[in-house]
Amino acid sequence: MHYTIGVDVGGTFTDVVGVDAEGREYLAKAASTPQDQSEGVLDGLRNLAAALGLTLAELLETTTRIVHGTTVATNALLERRGARTAMLTTEGHRDVTAMREGLKPARYDLRLPQPPALIPRQLRLPVRERLRPDGRVEIPLDSASLDAAITTLREQDVESVAICFLHSWAAPKHEHAAADAVRAALPGVFVTCSADVLPQIKEFERFSTTAVNAYVGPIVSRYLTRLESRLREAGYTQPVFVILSHGGMAPIDEAARLAVGTALSGPAGGVAAAMALARRGLGQQLVTLDMGGTSTDIALIQDGAATLGRGREVGGERIALDSLDIITLGAGGGSIAHLGSGGTLEVGPQSAGARPGPACYGNGGTEPTVTDANLALGYLDATRFLGGARLLDVAAAENAVARLAAKLNLSAEATALGIYRLVNARMADGVRIATVRRGVDPRGATLLAFGGAAGLHASAVARDLGMARIAVPLFAAGLSAWGMLQTELRHEIARSVVSAEAMPSDSALTALLDGLEAEARKQLAQWFKGEVVTHRAADLRYGEQVFEITVNLDGVTPDRAGLRAAFHARHRALFTYDLPEEEVVLVTARAAASGLLPPLPVRPAGADEQADATGTRRALLETGWAELPVYGFEALAAGQSIEGPAIIESATTTVLLLAGDTARMETGGWLMIERV
Amino acid sequence: MDPVTLAVLSARFTAIVEEMGEGLLRTAYSQILNSSRDFSIAVTDGACRLVAQADHIPVHVGAMPFAAKAVLDTFGSDMKAGDVFLLNDPWHGGSHLPDLTIVLPVFSDGVVRFYSVVRAHQSDIGGGTHGGYNPGANEIWQEGLRIPPIRLGENFTMRPDLVSMLALNTRINRDFRGDLAAMLGSAKLGANRLSDLLTQHGSGNLMLAVDAILDLAHVHAARIVESWPDGTWQGEAVLDDDGHGQENIAIRATCTKQGGTLTVDLSASDDQVQGFVNSSYPNMFSAVCMAFAYLLDPEVSKNEGAFRALRVVAREGSVVWAREGAAVTLCTSHCSNEIVEAIVRAMSKCCPQRAMGGWGRRFRIAITGRDARRPERKFVWHLFHARPGGGGHAKGDGWSSAGEWHSAGGLKFGSVEMAEARFPLHFRRHEFLGGTAGTGEHRGGHGGQLELIVESDGPSRGNTAGDGVRHGSAGILGGQDSAPHRYALRHADGSERLLRTKEVGVVIQSGEVLEVRSAGGGGWGDPAKRDPALIARDIEEGLA
Repeated sequence: MHYTIGVDVGGTFTDVVGVDAEGREYLAKAASTPQDQSEGVLDGLRNLAAALGLTLAELLETTTRIVHGTTVATNALLERRGARTAMLTTEGHRDVTAMREGLKPARYDLRLPQPPALIPRQLRLPVRERLRPDGRVEIPLDSASLDAAITTLREQDVESVAICFLHSWAAPKHEHAAADAVRAALPGVFVTCSADVLPQIKEFERFSTTAVNAYVGPIVSRYLTRLESRLREAGYTQPVFVILSHGGMAPIDEAARLAVGTALSGPAGGVAAAMALARRGLGQQLVTLDMGGTSTDIALIQDGAATLGRGREVGGERIALDSLDIITLGAGGGSIAHLGSGGTLEVGPQSAGARPGPACYGNGGTEPTVTDANLALGYLDATRFLGGARLLDVAAAENAVARLAAKLNLSAEATALGIYRLVNARMADGVRIATVRRGVDPRGATLLAFGGAAGLHASAVARDLGMARIAVPLFAAGLSAWGMLQTELRHEIARSVVSAEAMPSDSALTALLDGLEAEARKQLAQWFKGEVVTHRAADLRYGEQVFEITVNLDGVTPDRAGLRAAFHARHRALFTYDLPEEEVVLVTARAAASGLLPPLPVRPAGADEQADATGTRRALLETGWAELPVYGFEALAAGQSIEGPAIIESATTTVLLLAGDTARMETGGWLMIERV
Repeated sequence: MDPVTLAVLSARFTAIVEEMGEGLLRTAYSQILNSSRDFSIAVTDGACRLVAQADHIPVHVGAMPFAAKAVLDTFGSDMKAGDVFLLNDPWHGGSHLPDLTIVLPVFSDGVVRFYSVVRAHQSDIGGGTHGGYNPGANEIWQEGLRIPPIRLGENFTMRPDLVSMLALNTRINRDFRGDLAAMLGSAKLGANRLSDLLTQHGSGNLMLAVDAILDLAHVHAARIVESWPDGTWQGEAVLDDDGHGQENIAIRATCTKQGGTLTVDLSASDDQVQGFVNSSYPNMFSAVCMAFAYLLDPEVSKNEGAFRALRVVAREGSVVWAREGAAVTLCTSHCSNEIVEAIVRAMSKCCPQRAMGGWGRRFRIAITGRDARRPERKFVWHLFHARPGGGGHAKGDGWSSAGEWHSAGGLKFGSVEMAEARFPLHFRRHEFLGGTAGTGEHRGGHGGQLELIVESDGPSRGNTAGDGVRHGSAGILGGQDSAPHRYALRHADGSERLLRTKEVGVVIQSGEVLEVRSAGGGGWGDPAKRDPALIARDIEEGLA
């Protein structure tokens, strides 16, 4: 027997999912170890081995692939615990990252202090050099000012250096020469050039992304090296891959070089899982609702694929690499309900976290959380939470809710129901942001609910949105780790080509796109020998427009006419109109190479025999208290239907069906809930 | 009405205006909308009370209901579902002419329950100069096309002949049509969402909820105001000039706080002037709301309820409320910013922890010429770089290069690389500039330094619009004023020519350098109390 293993490091738990050669799936959990995440990873692997009746060495010897999602970069950014970082930058332009294009968040908060720059000004060191947009040298790289900067780097004991020169997207020669000089003078210092991180025009985005890469690079690199050596010591010989913000994966060395690319890898596994379920027949239009303890991630899958964006921030720092277009709401099971300053009930953004956790955990929490409300409403079983691993204190939950009820001048029941409704409304608004604002009508999509808490809220959220179909996977609690086993190796390349001319000549365009594609293939070939698929795209816009649109060029003739026609069509599709007489400007050309791994075997889900209700539970619905039948999720037979209102629960997930819902267990491994 | 339903509906109204804004942002054609985000979105109820407004440009925060009211006053019961109304005139519901406003009534049971309102700044609105700002104007007819409330179309469709007539009166016909279409799309989106909400909750319940949402915001705002001491305070802010020879134009605010109400009386402000720094009434009212919103907590809902705690008194014929026919185009910047500054100065004596030092004044230049690399191509480029600093405040130093009172960090400047690649421009320097901020216990944010070389085919020309080369950003509570703006053109022979803030047709020879030193923000509190560690940090950063 051999295994593939996905590892998802979360804030509280590290989830480890193993899939065997016959498609059987196993989930093991271990406490996360924030000081060194690799310890928790090894603990989780040990637990998985134990569950399979193997030693760790036996498990690892028969494991062919480990895919890892890490939050090391994310946490370093959020907690500002990155490397001591400096920047070498073009003289006269040392404040690009601090100016942030003139924007400040929170429009009406004029008493909001300005956060310190990731790299302080005294470590943003000017170097005398200057290029023109066509790559022409205006001022040659001045060795005296470079030497002076290197002296400062040495004196300041810098661990990492970002090299960010204007117009390096057009010509990286000055950046590379400066990098060589720094590496020669200061061996062991992490050096990264903006032209290598993001060779695209627009200095704020490129410099900011590069600064983040320098800031998290040494830490991510050390962590991955440590993880790999622990795995090797434990007997693992096959490759370790890291899932990146764009949802594809890369080998450890590449993830260490482009560490900034892991900054949004946290929720990427869930999106990869959704795409895998789409391929298994769940449907091509999905909205994911991944509800955890402190936050909820929402993403849109269209035609089976996730959308990518480039405007993300982590810890207030702009990262302009492709990343999955995920909306994160500060609301989850641990979110605290309170009386807001405006005099109405509010839920979040404060969270009880893992400690003290919700009041019902009995760890000293006194404020009512969403989980407390769900318990008070009878939706959760106090004795079977996490498979009975944690007994919940119903009285503590009810007391916490009652205290808030007194402030609101409402009954405790109305307050608990109010918390439930309000958090559902916030989720629904989050789904609207993810769909309607992107021009997609959610009513045609299926709501895919996973993470520990989503099953209780999905039906109500879907009703608010007019969505008729909801899916809850049996594996809801470990879906992100599972999803990591469903993705592909990917390498992306982009190059900006802006000039006073709108577009290069036909022959230059063809050469550019062919060249990028060949480069992406060549890079991927270093890691991967199997089947490779490539994609091309370009960022285009009308004459004086400011925002580019990325247009897929697969199957498009790579000349001016081809690009223009593709852009007009895409603009029409997005914005209802096009401007055929208008000049179309090419800004950035893109290519991506994907290495396809063999898909995991699939086993049909569902028990052989129809399951009866295991009992009943008294729960408060909008229509009043009712006695609901309770079913075991794993016990349901393939094709078995259950009418709402009812509760379906497993060790790690509870699903609430409302009146009018019909749930059907599908062989793909999910519950499909439809409303009459 | 229970607090849960209120919370849900309040969030829903906010989500609707945000969705409308996102739609406009993604579909607008002109740079001023899709990059600089110079637009505002609001929903009012049938009585034209502001229910929700998206956070775009604060300067419109109290102005939008005037547009709905003007439509109601003009058309009364002669309105039906699908009607599209348009206006821009400052004496008929607008703030200044470049801002076009589309208003859609939303009906249920034959009664107007809501208005979906979209306002967006146009690249050009006709008048004496390109770009909407005409420093030479001394009456509104020289500033552009005046549009009272008109029925632009029915069934959510614009009348093509009317659109052609409007577009013909602007210089950038294509942008105008594209932006108008995007505005209607956004307003229609809002109207659809509001109709859904009416169906879902029933108009009776929904309108009761609106009353309660507004009442709650009033209670919220009044509770904050009540925590301040009662009394009367005065504050003054001074404009450099009107571009027609009148200098040091004063805006004077008398603020009286009594219980849960703040009365702002601007009657003592100077008389109206020749040039375009006069304000229309709606813009003045909105500027007072903006100042009030800045002094409250940012969480307070910006709606009619919150502004019930505010009373506004002004004198017609003064610079803050000019008589019909006056030139007013600059008013959304100046004298809006001076109205805010005068109020904040007065209130700094009442609630010093909430007051903030002055944010920088606007000083922009639009340059037009021909690109030496493509002489057949005419270019127009708007300078948004070297932004001024924000004011210091009780919680810390001001934001550097974050802009003016009226935008407060909401306007973006474009990429230097993109500007150089697309326009005949070379940015020799663009950095923070030390010594520009007003000192204080918490200093203002830094201003910027720009050295820009225009490499045009033959001379290019610049028009300026702004203020603040005489007066810096206001220091308060013992904090110092910032240095004022300094914009100069460096000629080839090394001599320089200072730019005035309200000039038309400044000739810029190819190779000449535009040297900008923008103002920082005003300081807050006594500089002697400044933490030595902060002084050391500024020195270490080279920005002392």
